[in-house]
Amino acid sequence: MARERVLVAMSGGVDSSVAAAMLVEQGYDVVGATMKLFCHGEDVPDRPCCSLDSVNDARRVCEQLGIPHYVLNLETRFGHDVVDNFVEEYARGRTPIPCVRCNTFTKFRDFLKKADAIDARWIATGHYARVVEGELYRGIDQNKDQTYFLWGIDRSVLSRMILPVGVLDKAQTRARAHAMGLEVIAEKPESQEICFVPDGDYARILEQRLPSDAPALAPGPIVTSKGAVIGEHNGFARYTIGQRRGVPGGFATPMYVIAIRPEQRAVVIGTREELLGNGLIAREVNWLVERPRVGQRVSVRVRHRAPLAPAEIVRMDGDEMEIALDEPVSAITPGQSVVLYDAERVIGGGFIESARQKRTSLPVLAA
Amino acid sequence: MANDPIYLDHAATTPVRDEVFDAMKPFYGPRFGNPSSTHRWGREARAALDEARERVGRCLGARPDEICFTSGGTEADNLAILGAWRALKAKGRKAVLTTPIEHKAVLGAVHQAAHEGAEERFVTMTAQGTAEIASFDQLLDDDVAVCSMMWVNNEIGTIQPVPELAAKAKAHGALFHTDAVQAFGKIPIDAQEQQFDFLTISGHKFGAPKGIGALFIRRGVHLEPLMHGGSQDRGRRPGTENVAAAVGLARAAELTVAECDAHCARLAQLRDRLEAGILAKVPDAVIHGRGAPRAPHVTNISVPGTDSESLLMALDLRGIAASGGSACQSGSIEPSHVLSALGVRPDLASAAVRMSLGSLTTDSAIDRVIEIFPALVAKARQLAATE
Repeated sequence: MARERVLVAMSGGVDSSVAAAMLVEQGYDVVGATMKLFCHGEDVPDRPCCSLDSVNDARRVCEQLGIPHYVLNLETRFGHDVVDNFVEEYARGRTPIPCVRCNTFTKFRDFLKKADAIDARWIATGHYARVVEGELYRGIDQNKDQTYFLWGIDRSVLSRMILPVGVLDKAQTRARAHAMGLEVIAEKPESQEICFVPDGDYARILEQRLPSDAPALAPGPIVTSKGAVIGEHNGFARYTIGQRRGVPGGFATPMYVIAIRPEQRAVVIGTREELLGNGLIAREVNWLVERPRVGQRVSVRVRHRAPLAPAEIVRMDGDEMEIALDEPVSAITPGQSVVLYDAERVIGGGFIESARQKRTSLPVLAA
Repeated sequence: MANDPIYLDHAATTPVRDEVFDAMKPFYGPRFGNPSSTHRWGREARAALDEARERVGRCLGARPDEICFTSGGTEADNLAILGAWRALKAKGRKAVLTTPIEHKAVLGAVHQAAHEGAEERFVTMTAQGTAEIASFDQLLDDDVAVCSMMWVNNEIGTIQPVPELAAKAKAHGALFHTDAVQAFGKIPIDAQEQQFDFLTISGHKFGAPKGIGALFIRRGVHLEPLMHGGSQDRGRRPGTENVAAAVGLARAAELTVAECDAHCARLAQLRDRLEAGILAKVPDAVIHGRGAPRAPHVTNISVPGTDSESLLMALDLRGIAASGGSACQSGSIEPSHVLSALGVRPDLASAAVRMSLGSLTTDSAIDRVIEIFPALVAKARQLAATE
């Protein structure tokens, strides 16, 4: 019987390298590919163009595994689907989460088409998550779990996905890399930043791409929730909900950014209590199981690595939904994702449109 | 063997020929001397180097002192263009004339000259990939320091009328360089008959190793060296010479020139059969430059509704090595500047697949490509249709 072919997205990092190696061990016909997603050109002198080091690492790993490796240029589509959206979201006073859109549009749509082109039945990545019988589950390593970024993919893709390292924890992944002789990448540091923001300075990307008179980067008032103006900021796009840096001091309690009002260019600050939300409205909702019903009990995550919070779906309306939280949660941020879980299983998710301060569901069982 | 991989990328590089490898071996062994040394080891190396220079010269109709060994085509192109520009700019010649379909080595050198104050002039191309002679005539005036016109294009194989263009440049007192990297062994080259001042060849395109090439520099033509150091090669190219590679280049050049007619006839026949076979099954395939005079070893085909990245990957997985436009440093495929300059539609340009034939190309390989390529194209179009 012919071995089934799998196209592995390889970043040159330890997770996707081990993923590819595991698939080779499991007997698949493995093809590696590195996506070229952006090019800084000569803007960033210390970094080679086109993530060259990553490509070279991935190529060396493939050579060692005895599998073919290709570089796929998805720069135009990534620029449109991910980078442009990133800039637009900040311009609207939101805090975008580009990795979600990259997974949804780039890895599990555009990359999938490349798999079709080479008759690959499967695609694989180095994500810490698991696919079990066509459903998505959190990775075994609770600290590394990446399902927060995967809720947006088309449900039908799940039947073609293999996520080999989802059953490992990070230490096991590194140990596997050593055991398989992948010394080139075994101890590579974790990449924490957004891949197309080279030094973590996202505001620089905004400055490069937004017009110089963009309101998002222009001075505006810092106000309290009562409306008192207590200072000036140099562009609301430089702020995110929950942030303390750049917030004036001199208050009795620490103050945080609690809202951004782009129409007034205002950054609103408030206390820790004012940062709490009891619910949220999400849009562009996507389901990875049968569409749930209103009233369904779920656990939700409103930010990467935030604790899971018990909640209930209180309204569903086209691709919009409203979630009521049992207990208030801090820093619910427009532009971030809300991901819904049933124990370990991902039900679906959406992009947070707004936080709700007051409980909107009836406390049905409270009485 | 039915499933042997098929190498159709001879324009990218070729294997080192056995005869060439054998000729080089002594210089990695007992004849290791430095040709600048005065003792017996040095003399031996020097004799081999001088002989290699003579032999390469003979292959080009040139005298030995007109041959300058370089690290390859890129260095030779840079030396010719920048060396000539820097020597002439003081004399009031301010322009550099070239085509938009040159190899990046030429375009990069021309851009550098522009950075140093030169005026870049680009000859208009016909849709078939040859220079518009009227445009060349119009841009060529007494201000031009150097013209650089590639003889055979590396992506589509079209031939420029170099002897004619070189004569025109000469009449205007401009120096004339031609990148003959893809032309050597495919087109008769004779420096005594043809009036070019500089000509670039690259060893690894015809059976010599990578890292060796040569620039023909016509006697009496002065250029500024790119590097500074010792007096090797009359100071034009300082640095201890790569004796083994120079010997290899000489051997490969001689074999290539001797075999030129038979080899070209064989390749032209294979290429024509390949193109006819593909067109029979994919009638709307576009073969770039097909209406122009072409060297026999390159065919560049775009099938509407496909993309070269996916097609090249699928071909490679079926054992067929071809190439796209020009690969960037990361290995990803960039849209071809050559096809853009010809006015090829972007969707067709991004579908281009170059297949280049050579010593490794057999009849049965062509048969298999005629089977596999149309099948992969059909599959790609089917996928595109269901999107």
